[in-house]
Amino acid sequence: MVMRKFIWMFCVLVTHNFLFSQQNKLVFHPTFFNQTLKPEVYYKLNAKDSIQITSFKFYISQLELLNGRETVWKEQSSFHLIDAFDEKTLVLSVPSNITFTKIKFQIGIDSLTNVSGAMGGDLDPTKGMYWTWQSGYINFKLEGNSNLCKTHHNEFQFHLGGYQQPFNCLQTVFVQVKSKASVTLNMDVAKLLLYIQLSELNHIMSPSKEAVELSGKITETFSVSYE
Amino acid sequence: MNKKWGIAIIMCLALCAFNIATEHIFEVPKNWPKPIYNFNKNPLTKEKVELGRELFYDPILSKNNLISCASCHSPYTAFTHVDHDLSHGIDDRIGTRNSPALMNLAWHHLYMWDGAINHLDMQALAPISHPDEMGEKIESIVLKLQHSKKYSKLFLKAYGDTVITGEYTLKAISQFMLTLVSANSKYDSVMRKQSHFTEQETKGYKLFKQYCASCHTEPLFTHTGFENNGLAIDTTLNDVGRMRITKNSLDSLKFKVPTLRNIEFSFPYMHDGRFKKISDVLKHYTSGIVHSKTLAQQLQQPILLSSNDKVDLTAFLLTLTDKAFLFNPKHSFPKK
Repeated sequence: MVMRKFIWMFCVLVTHNFLFSQQNKLVFHPTFFNQTLKPEVYYKLNAKDSIQITSFKFYISQLELLNGRETVWKEQSSFHLIDAFDEKTLVLSVPSNITFTKIKFQIGIDSLTNVSGAMGGDLDPTKGMYWTWQSGYINFKLEGNSNLCKTHHNEFQFHLGGYQQPFNCLQTVFVQVKSKASVTLNMDVAKLLLYIQLSELNHIMSPSKEAVELSGKITETFSVSYE
Repeated sequence: MNKKWGIAIIMCLALCAFNIATEHIFEVPKNWPKPIYNFNKNPLTKEKVELGRELFYDPILSKNNLISCASCHSPYTAFTHVDHDLSHGIDDRIGTRNSPALMNLAWHHLYMWDGAINHLDMQALAPISHPDEMGEKIESIVLKLQHSKKYSKLFLKAYGDTVITGEYTLKAISQFMLTLVSANSKYDSVMRKQSHFTEQETKGYKLFKQYCASCHTEPLFTHTGFENNGLAIDTTLNDVGRMRITKNSLDSLKFKVPTLRNIEFSFPYMHDGRFKKISDVLKHYTSGIVHSKTLAQQLQQPILLSSNDKVDLTAFLLTLTDKAFLFNPKHSFPKK
């Protein structure tokens, strides 16, 4: 009798887990135009240039799901360091038992977290996304080289961050989605590079007007597709 | 029932013991403001403070394993560097600023002469990473620590975890720095009515309150903000101070107001260490002020001090020496 009760309980729990704890994926897919972005590959923006991306990392934070205008799910302590060249960082999970029409998140780290001292996990300063000469997280890092840059090794480096006005670089992204199935967020680096005259601007390394302007363009690189 | 009571009593005792232990590590001196540092996010323990102390004195934090925090922040000189006007780093490189004295750090919002650092936990990253100071990366330090038997043990003791992280490392260094509280000078004992100023010191204190206290505010002897104190620009350094960080011209030539506690031992003075003696500093304030747009309000009118006044004021400043702090064995090089 007792044994049967246990088996029954077990079945209920397994079904419950299956129905309610299943996760849908939210996949970041960095691209150069329509191609999947890869390291050590030369890409072309225009006929005469050639561009290689050596590092592409950014923080995703405050992940939320909305149904219409209503927030239906909010991730707790939501900080993810996404590295375009490290596949395991590209996939985030969202619950599958919730109906939503919009995904909301921030690119970068909010000001309160920026002034809260040392933190662990993806926020650990050993991740290379923290400025050392001046406190603050680097929200978004894009490095590479191009024949357009008249610099050492033709390098360009864009470290975008800054949490204080007037140089607050934090960006909020809203993405409309059709279904609650797994979503792929394509992120086209080429679109961002088209805004920059690489021959004139090849590095941003501190909170500044330029950092704020370029950060504002990141949101325009996103597009949605479905698995 | 008896067993339950027994457990309850043991737990109470353990809790009391814990409270007593933390109180001894850090206490807010009587009549001082509430610390700004959020201890809830990094509760002090004996083991973590001890780990932080080991790290503070260990050249493992520098690229060539030769320079430690203490190289520029020596305990017997109020945790600063007295031989040099500008700080020295690895490979005999010379920095651009005078290493500041370290004390009462829990009461500050911003750190460094220009306020570049917004939290004590993140402060150590700056000298660690600066090519003219320790020239190292926190990532490499964590790797070095992971390969060290000594630190594996110390981190396990402090955090109950064999994994060493940047967060743990920085927080442990903070813990040690937070214990560097200086509040036992003659001035402090006079304030606590345990001793008396001499007549000269009393006169000096009066002058201090009249001319210095609005920036060097008691009890920290700094208002912890930024001011332009009328120093002529050193054209070899062209240091704009706070403006480097805020990019706001209203902050040009402003530097963090340093504490005057232990001033007898923390020479040379100013952000570039240009003055070697207290008398040089007083001379600057009475006859050396350079007027510019951002000059501190308090320095717009000349400060007039007779030579007797200067002697009295100096006598008062020397009452800020805290020997119990300077020679506290808990702050010094950890003995094996």
